[in-house]
Amino acid sequence: MTVDAPEASDVQKRVDEAGASRSRPAGMNRRSLIKVGAGAAGGLGLFGPSALPLISRRSAAAQGDTLKFWQFYAPGGQVESQAAWFENTVAGWNEQNDKQVELVYVPNSDYMDGTKLPTAFASGQGPDLFIISPGDFLRYYNGGVLQDLTPFMEQEAIDDFFPDVLASRVVDDKVFGLPMEVEPMAMYYSLAAWEEAGLTDSDIPQTWEQLLEVGQRLTNDQRFGVLFETNPGYYQNFTWYPFMWQGGAEIQVPESNKSGMRDPGAVEALKFWQDAVNLGVSPRTVLGGGAWDVVPNLTTGYCAIQNVGIWAISALQENAPDFEYGIFKLPVPEGGQYSTDLGGWAFVANSQGQDPETAAQFVVWALGTMSEDSIQRGVDWCTKAKSDMAPRQSVQELATEQGGFDSGPLKQFAEEILPGGRGEPRVTPEIYKSISDAIQAAQLNGTDPEQAAEQAATEIEAFLATYTGAPIL
Amino acid sequence: MSVLSAGDAADGAAGRPRARATRRSHLSQTHREWLAAYLFLLPDVLGLLIFVGLPMVLALSLGFFDVSGFGTYTFAGLGNYRKMLADPLFLDSLQVTAKYVLVLVPGLYVSGLGLALLVKRPVRLIGLFRAMLFLPNVISLVVIGLLWKFLFVDRIGMVNVLLSKIGLGGLSWLGDPDLSLWALLGVTIWFLMGFYMLIFLAGLQEIPREYYDAARIDGAGPLRSFRDITLPLLKPTSFFVLLVSLVAAVAGPQGFDLVYVMTSGGPANSTNLMTYYIYQQAFLFSNFGYAAAMASFLVFVLLGLTGILFAVTRGGRFDFD
Amino acid sequence: MTSTDIGGAQFGMRAAGEGRSGGTLLIAALILISSLTVFPLIWMVSSAFKTGTEVYTLRIVPEVPTLDNFRYVFTQLPFARYMFNSFFVSATVTVVALFFHSMAAYALARLHFPGRELIFRLIFSTLLVSLPVILVPLFVLVRSMGMLNTYAGLIIPAIFNAFGIFLLRQFYLGIPQELEEAAILDGAGYWRVYANIILPLSRPILAALAVFFFLANWNSFLWPLTITSDPDLWVVQTGIASFQQQYASAQNYIMAASVVVAMPTMLLFFIFQRQLVESIKTSGFK
Repeated sequence: MTVDAPEASDVQKRVDEAGASRSRPAGMNRRSLIKVGAGAAGGLGLFGPSALPLISRRSAAAQGDTLKFWQFYAPGGQVESQAAWFENTVAGWNEQNDKQVELVYVPNSDYMDGTKLPTAFASGQGPDLFIISPGDFLRYYNGGVLQDLTPFMEQEAIDDFFPDVLASRVVDDKVFGLPMEVEPMAMYYSLAAWEEAGLTDSDIPQTWEQLLEVGQRLTNDQRFGVLFETNPGYYQNFTWYPFMWQGGAEIQVPESNKSGMRDPGAVEALKFWQDAVNLGVSPRTVLGGGAWDVVPNLTTGYCAIQNVGIWAISALQENAPDFEYGIFKLPVPEGGQYSTDLGGWAFVANSQGQDPETAAQFVVWALGTMSEDSIQRGVDWCTKAKSDMAPRQSVQELATEQGGFDSGPLKQFAEEILPGGRGEPRVTPEIYKSISDAIQAAQLNGTDPEQAAEQAATEIEAFLATYTGAPIL
Repeated sequence: MSVLSAGDAADGAAGRPRARATRRSHLSQTHREWLAAYLFLLPDVLGLLIFVGLPMVLALSLGFFDVSGFGTYTFAGLGNYRKMLADPLFLDSLQVTAKYVLVLVPGLYVSGLGLALLVKRPVRLIGLFRAMLFLPNVISLVVIGLLWKFLFVDRIGMVNVLLSKIGLGGLSWLGDPDLSLWALLGVTIWFLMGFYMLIFLAGLQEIPREYYDAARIDGAGPLRSFRDITLPLLKPTSFFVLLVSLVAAVAGPQGFDLVYVMTSGGPANSTNLMTYYIYQQAFLFSNFGYAAAMASFLVFVLLGLTGILFAVTRGGRFDFD
Repeated sequence: MTSTDIGGAQFGMRAAGEGRSGGTLLIAALILISSLTVFPLIWMVSSAFKTGTEVYTLRIVPEVPTLDNFRYVFTQLPFARYMFNSFFVSATVTVVALFFHSMAAYALARLHFPGRELIFRLIFSTLLVSLPVILVPLFVLVRSMGMLNTYAGLIIPAIFNAFGIFLLRQFYLGIPQELEEAAILDGAGYWRVYANIILPLSRPILAALAVFFFLANWNSFLWPLTITSDPDLWVVQTGIASFQQQYASAQNYIMAASVVVAMPTMLLFFIFQRQLVESIKTSGFK
């Protein structure tokens, strides 16, 4: 115990420093008194329905000086250009505006499906600005925390976004989020494995059947032929949807309260993934963080073909620059129509935040005006910081002009893979879970695909019968 | 620094009644004892009330509300509880949890006691062996989960490579719904067994050697002396281990953390422990009210179970002499 | 310090006294089981020296051992700062909690007062709820006290945990009554009985609990993550989590960071393991 004694003064000093750097100008004392008072009141009133939000709104208003922008691109992280883009964007805004924006970094693993964001919102303390994927859109929209951006946008700019990409962020013709990127799904394969199995370019699979055949040839006791996501979650659903669409099925049959999950297209897609596992072509577990993680799965030879998105290009470039690979678009079922899923995150503003209008202005300024700045920012993000497709016509054009999609894999994505793609669906948590259970049951539990699909359809229809939120897309 | 001042305050507080008592004799010895007891309890009870009790009451009472997760609350009466009974995932999860607890508690008992017996004899380097067996406890659960996720991976994972040497390869420990819960239990026992080993070790070392010597003279074999001496004399330790491991199995952090990192409740909900399902409903689906109802249910079950253990052990007094 | 040393010495003496009748079979079993137990952790250590792609191979000894991961951990993030934060928070929580818990446990075990059983049951029942369940209300509470993004917010809520009270109460129940009674008859107040008799007697168990408390706080993740956004207040576990990027899990960095983070706790345990067993034993914490 005496060992730490010499450090004690040092400790105290650093604590004091930390305290000093946090201390705010006068007024703080009274404000914290109010907060404690409010807390006590909330405590005494116990669970009176309004107790929690009451405290939170008051202190949210009291606390504000800068707009907090939560995201998961770490300063000093692996891809410095991405964090730098965020920093430059915010710095650009802060130079021109009185109301300052401050970046708050949340570790990615906790941002995606962690507790930090929900906890902040549940207590009325959500960030003023944050980023979400389509999978989360309805949860926040139905929760009433997304600020309408339309009043701050020119019609020309709204029209500039690709309708299919923007659709999942629009309710009743109002825009509630601006996508920063478009991330289509494709298949990546290892050239080494390909050659080792004696395959050539002409073997590139066009249909599901061919994929399984090629997969079998690529499979050995150390390696799986084709890798699909196996961890349950929003991401697994996201990667599965295109196979469902290819056979013409929909989560919700348009203009009805029926689910298309029991349509042949959906059942076949479930069976496709089941067959892949049963044949031993696809694994039941994946390496690294998940099937989105290309380096651990593809470059190490755990799998020969991986179903993964466009981001794999930059991930490979950063982490395995010498790895040789090829890309092909998702194969289709016999008689099916090609489709892929277009993921990507969007900037949104919190309508319950301290200054929703300024926050909305920030989002529009950053990603959604026709100014040169705004368009160039889009190009920088999609082609320089990341390797993504553009969400807007003008960004796409400028990026092409600047040579962003001129060659290699990005060109292939732009010309071959992107056309025919659909925006990632937005669903409620309940619907997500029903579909996820169906996928998991068919893929890993050997459940009859028809039965799994039927159950999901029944659950979804029961849910839709009483659902009153924004439409499922 | 804070320790010192807190100590001074407590000293002053506890000293005061005594001083007053000498002045005012009507404050009897009994009352002095009461007052002292309350003052001794004050810091912890106050802290627990504020930082655990109050949040607990708030959290659990949310079970009677529909909570949007974005600041709106509507009274729902018993709605969430009715929903619970009709939710197949909840019933599934209950089953998974029951299985987990029924294996984990005896598993920790047997592994803890077994290891303690193994490391009881003070052979050379015994300290090193004990330390090695406790070591998993030192690492954070997130890292433990990541490690095992890799070791369990299909085909090339270390577990499969080793098992294939004895003809048991090709299993998907975390990808097969029939195996995943067992894999999770294995990791959990591996992680926690060192702690229970230490507890049992302490219990074993309290048993006088003379008992065993006498038994040996009577011609008792090791098995009989284990049954007739070790087990009965370990009763207090055993009750303690059962109580602590029961609470840990149902509400301990390892259940949630390992599921979160290793399986996300899958494959096909086969590792969907109650703690994970509650988290999922609250934080991923924003159903805080429903999550609270399930949490309350869990607390009541645990209250019942520990209540029984307390009754058996006369209020947690494990010494039977 | 002194008392635990004596404990260790006693332990050593007894170890020598009991002789070495342990058969080779026992030794073999010990070696086998303890190496199996440690094996996954060896893989953790070896991964920390591997490159980003080699980390997913089974090789135990890295092909090209590299220190890059450690360099990365300490240069890309202020990891030393995180370690300081973790140490400061864990040590403070441990010391304050042990002090408060032993006071409460003393009252619950040794003093007679109305409501004793009820208070004990209520305290015990707080063990039955896990942190995720109370996370949101606790967050609201801590925020309304102005403790978001402060050391106080990291430390104070972590102090109050019924487990320590429960264990210490068990221990105090076993102390012979006569010691205190004599003191009380001598006119000593309860505070003096506690400070001069109970506290010194509890040194061994406090030492054991200190190790467990420190470990638990050093490894805690959810609470620190929830209430701090200011990177200056991050703890080691938050740091480890932030090595996991959106599109690359970077296990090599995570493992290197984990090795660094596990170092102090492993050391703590290696140094104190003898005393730990001894204190659990002498404390009757069982």
